[in-house]
Amino acid sequence: MRGIASTDSASNRDQGLLRSLWLASRDAVLIASACALVALVFNFFRADGIALIQRSEYQILVPCPVTEGAVEAIEAEALKPEEPRTLLIDARPSGDYQKWHVAGAINITYDYLEPTEPKKIQSIAASGARRVVVYGDGENPDSGEQLAKEIAGKGIRNVSYVVGGFNELNKSLSSRGEP
Amino acid sequence: MSRIFQWKGHAYLALPARFYLALVFLFACYHKIMDPGAFAVDVATYQILPLSLVNLMAIILPWIELAAGVLLLVGFRTRAAALLISAMMLVFTVAIVIALAKGLDMSCGCFASQGANEDPISARTIVRDLGWLLLSIYVLLFDRNPLGVDGWIMRRESIRSEG
Repeated sequence: MRGIASTDSASNRDQGLLRSLWLASRDAVLIASACALVALVFNFFRADGIALIQRSEYQILVPCPVTEGAVEAIEAEALKPEEPRTLLIDARPSGDYQKWHVAGAINITYDYLEPTEPKKIQSIAASGARRVVVYGDGENPDSGEQLAKEIAGKGIRNVSYVVGGFNELNKSLSSRGEP
Repeated sequence: MSRIFQWKGHAYLALPARFYLALVFLFACYHKIMDPGAFAVDVATYQILPLSLVNLMAIILPWIELAAGVLLLVGFRTRAAALLISAMMLVFTVAIVIALAKGLDMSCGCFASQGANEDPISARTIVRDLGWLLLSIYVLLFDRNPLGVDGWIMRRESIRSEG
């Protein structure tokens, strides 16, 4: 008898809760509707009200996620391009690469706004190189250093960049009589 | 389970939770109502809503926050206000999870239009929002309104029906 009574009271309580949730939902919809009305009227009359529908894209600036890995800085004199299993990467625009590049270097242009394409990172990983050396424009910031950090941040090991970029490298290789 | 629901202490635990949520939402709506343009940019930065809905969201949402905060504070239609806050917290949390999954380095825009450097979204923001979501659900389920307009109306009606 007592069991039946407690089951009834639990059932009544559940029904009471459901009913109060239903009433709360109804009230919530009414409150939200009233708020929408007040908000639209207020926006219409205020001096700094905004358009209901935005026509042109907002100028939002969301920095790209930075994935930087640890890299080693090396001097141009220390670079030996002929070293086996070393992959040389020229981070400058392809036009500059066409004009001059270290023999055997490949071109992966560093873009300050867009991440490097995954297939290019994969090609570095697939090259079998034990060491990756990047050189860039030598500016501040140096595109070579930036690309090296990006590559290292994406899992490529043993990445270095040439301090001073292509200028220093060009001078150093010329003094050594190398192309 | 029923013992947990019937515990009388809920009325007194839900009361500070109610006031706390009310103050959080009143504080949160202030800058959004004062500067709808900046809040619209914050909404757009999430890159979730279509452009045509960004401004409507930026205009209406702060007023719902204001209403929910005021209603919780005075204890009128408390459950409806707690339900509104639960729904908003759920939406905000999902939005932040999506933004983090996209790798967006941005401010949440919850309390002021700041840059990502001052108030960046992170796992901590999600934990904070989930905490507020749980609090609002607690108020929704357990508030007995010992202090507020709803409680006063109920007491008056019960006195009237007894009389």
